[in-house]
Amino acid sequence: MTQFFNYAVPGVPFGCVFALMAVGLVLTYKASGVFNLAFGAQAFVSALAYVSLDQDGWPRWASTVIAVLVIGPLVGVLLDRLLFRRIRTASPLVKLVPSLGLLVALPQLALIIAGSTPSIPPPAIVGDAQRVYVHLGSVPLSGLELSISAATVVVVAALVVLFRFTPVGLEMRAVVESPRMTELAGVNAGRVSAFAWILSSIMAALAGVLLSPLYSQLDPQNFTVLLVWGVAGAVIGRFASLPLAMVGGLALGVAQQVIAGYMPAGVIANGLRPSLPFVVLLAFLPLARQRQIDDPLSACDPPSSASEAAASGFRSASTVATSGGAVHSVGVWHQRLEGLPGSRMTGVLVRRPTATFAWAVGGLAILSALTWVPPDWLLTMNQGLAFAIIFLSLTLLTGMTGQISLCQATFAGLGGFMAGQLANNFGLPIVLGMVAGALLAACLGVLVAIPTLRLAGLPLALATLAFALLADNILFPNSWIGNGAGGITLPRPSAGPVSFAAAKPFFLLSLVILGVCAGVVKLVGDGTMGRYLSAVRGSELAANSVGIDVYRLRILVFALSAALAGVGGALFGSLEGSLSANDFGYQISAVLLVVVAIVGLGSIAGAVVAGIVYTTLQVAVTSLPSRYAGLVAVLFGLATLSYTRHPEGFLDYLSGRAQRAIAARRAHRLGGGPPARGAAGTGAGERAPVGADPLVGGAG
Amino acid sequence: MTAGAAGRPLLVADGITKQFGGVTALDHVDMAVAPGEAVGVVGPNGAGKTTLFNCLFGLEEPDSGSVVFDGRRIDRLPVWRRSRMGIGRTFQRMELFEGMTVADHLLVAEQAASGTVRVWRDFVHRGGPTPTELHHVQEVLDLLGLSELAGRPVDTLDLGHARLVELGRAMMGTPRLLMLDEPSSGLDAEDTARLARILGETRRTTGVAVVLVEHDLALVESAVDRLYVLNFGKVLASGPVDDVLADPEVRRAYLGSTA
Repeated sequence: MTQFFNYAVPGVPFGCVFALMAVGLVLTYKASGVFNLAFGAQAFVSALAYVSLDQDGWPRWASTVIAVLVIGPLVGVLLDRLLFRRIRTASPLVKLVPSLGLLVALPQLALIIAGSTPSIPPPAIVGDAQRVYVHLGSVPLSGLELSISAATVVVVAALVVLFRFTPVGLEMRAVVESPRMTELAGVNAGRVSAFAWILSSIMAALAGVLLSPLYSQLDPQNFTVLLVWGVAGAVIGRFASLPLAMVGGLALGVAQQVIAGYMPAGVIANGLRPSLPFVVLLAFLPLARQRQIDDPLSACDPPSSASEAAASGFRSASTVATSGGAVHSVGVWHQRLEGLPGSRMTGVLVRRPTATFAWAVGGLAILSALTWVPPDWLLTMNQGLAFAIIFLSLTLLTGMTGQISLCQATFAGLGGFMAGQLANNFGLPIVLGMVAGALLAACLGVLVAIPTLRLAGLPLALATLAFALLADNILFPNSWIGNGAGGITLPRPSAGPVSFAAAKPFFLLSLVILGVCAGVVKLVGDGTMGRYLSAVRGSELAANSVGIDVYRLRILVFALSAALAGVGGALFGSLEGSLSANDFGYQISAVLLVVVAIVGLGSIAGAVVAGIVYTTLQVAVTSLPSRYAGLVAVLFGLATLSYTRHPEGFLDYLSGRAQRAIAARRAHRLGGGPPARGAAGTGAGERAPVGADPLVGGAG
Repeated sequence: MTAGAAGRPLLVADGITKQFGGVTALDHVDMAVAPGEAVGVVGPNGAGKTTLFNCLFGLEEPDSGSVVFDGRRIDRLPVWRRSRMGIGRTFQRMELFEGMTVADHLLVAEQAASGTVRVWRDFVHRGGPTPTELHHVQEVLDLLGLSELAGRPVDTLDLGHARLVELGRAMMGTPRLLMLDEPSSGLDAEDTARLARILGETRRTTGVAVVLVEHDLALVESAVDRLYVLNFGKVLASGPVDDVLADPEVRRAYLGSTA
């Protein structure tokens, strides 16, 4: 018992911070419908401000006040005003992508503004961080631990007073229960929600500032890890209950220390602690989903805008169209809007020029790669092809099926490691290794899919995120898988006398592999499975009721998607010659999803362009002064802001504009009326999902 | 009680009981539907009509009791398996596949009902619909009068036509039992009349049995042979429509003084 106590007490300060984060997450989730993953970034920004001010010689109380009570709420209010308020009723993907983008972008932006990373740990907000002030039993308590606990007690007391005894607290409790019911009672829910954002941001800032002395150098990644713990706490609170979230965070903090204490040191023990959030998420997420329907008005929730939901999805083939009353099978890529009577011909005529243009650009790029392009550019393009395959896995899973995965990089990494290990240890040809890697990734995909079968939207995204974190800690560090940060080497393939080791042959091989993968995605999208998938995306209940085995389909899609990612990861490893756990860490998964969502989840072309853009920008960064290393992340973060207005993605938006322009010109020339597309009735013409092109990868 | 049933009944529910917390939603409900028969289920709000539907179809698991369809116990089978056995249903709150066309709704249902594994066919054969499937789709489109709208995304349809699409989707794969949950809710008189006409025509041409949960008594009277009245989770009365509606107890519990 004493031993348990000795292990548990040091966990309390961690638990306090987790609890602060959990409460902050639940507050904004219930008050504004957005699960704010940028919370970790907010904590980092305030921590950075605190440390910078401290190093500039400001008094400790002043830096604390500025970081926690000025900068924290300021960021929160800005986020609420500029972004989150506008996407209250959007689809889960449209809500998730911007907060992920900001999670990556905000810290980088703050670092650029701050100029340099302070390298000396700051003091605790009260007392001396390292000095032991008292002993609780035999457990020494340092100034840092005491200040964290004390600050949390103060915040909790303030929250209790606020919620119990003030009018705004009462209103906020009401908004947390049911925002629309509260509005009906004459309360300005927008004002209350802004207040909730301020409160939540203060908690993010406080959590960041309190923990900053713990790290010798401030790194945004530490705060992302913290965020996952906070998320687990929020899930224990079922996204709804503030006291439960608080208790959950506290319990997690204690539990992780107790586990660390009792377990013998080693990879498993080191892995077990970070995997706690994953276990908690899996155990509690189904409960959280049940709980969400408690809002008395939840049954009449305003449905997420149809155009958004449609636009963010993959436009699978509507293989049945009519002309003259009879049903014909037409293998057209997609024709949702063209399906309107009379407008189909216009659609076909209009689509052709942009398709031709896209093929021409692709062909020119390939031709250039094989002739005059300098070697380092060729390498970048080749990396783009490898990532295009990984992006295709998201096109399949998120674009077609509407399921959000934040562990695609994990699948990619596993595929790559498997291929490399087989090639190095068993002399297997690397191409066969890629196949084996894909199969292993598929098995892992099934393992992820089965416990998450009942989850969708945000809960699924969180569960996959937790899984990625688990894999980072338990799988990748093993010498027989990823060998940690050291990584493994991978050979380039050769088939008998033909070697693909040189840049150009490897590029051609990559094109072929990408072509095969794109072909698979296209066949799935156009075929029966694609039709089933759109049905499931439309309504899981109805899909079940017409006889589709939805669970089997989901497992299948997860496996296929994981296999694609595995191929991409293996190809990337073979191209680079080595692969380490850092290449495919969990944060990469988030970045990948954000990138492909911005470029376009709706088509194969979107995945290819995303691959090229992603790798090109990464190369561009290296030529910048080190202060601006985070610039690309910032750009992507800002791009997510525009994404909320064009959830169909950049590519579809552009080709849509081009098609409308061409159609208008043609209509003008023919002296006819405006194109029939206007009849879609979505109201927002810009947002209407207008087709991308049937571009099958780059390979013929 | 099973006046209309000839030979072996198609669907038999026996002693279905379902509790939610302390509330008894269904209390030993018995029900039988003969092949080709149309049965109505009426009752005041909260009588347990939709819960009964969900127990029969598999969306809820009854606490006790059994459901037998075509001589086979189905009360432990998942929804999609019941559907493939030949039960189609519609939903009170529309559940359409957003963004898909009318014809695609029917095609998906047709292909899913046949239940053949098609994943590999997609790779070999491009996974397009077969002529037989397209023929079935066209038949149902004609029956429902939806041919003109076949290429329209369902999001652009008015409610009356959307309800017909749901009905059509439930009819694919030639089911032997159609379960319709408040098909007329939200429809005006004209749309309801068309629905009743189409329902009658469907029964004549396909001989499908129907279980209809409905508020609109006119539609119920015109569409069904037999009626079950539920009240507080119990079967209050059952039998031929006219007899049941004349029952004084039913009038008191359900119809009030207006009927």
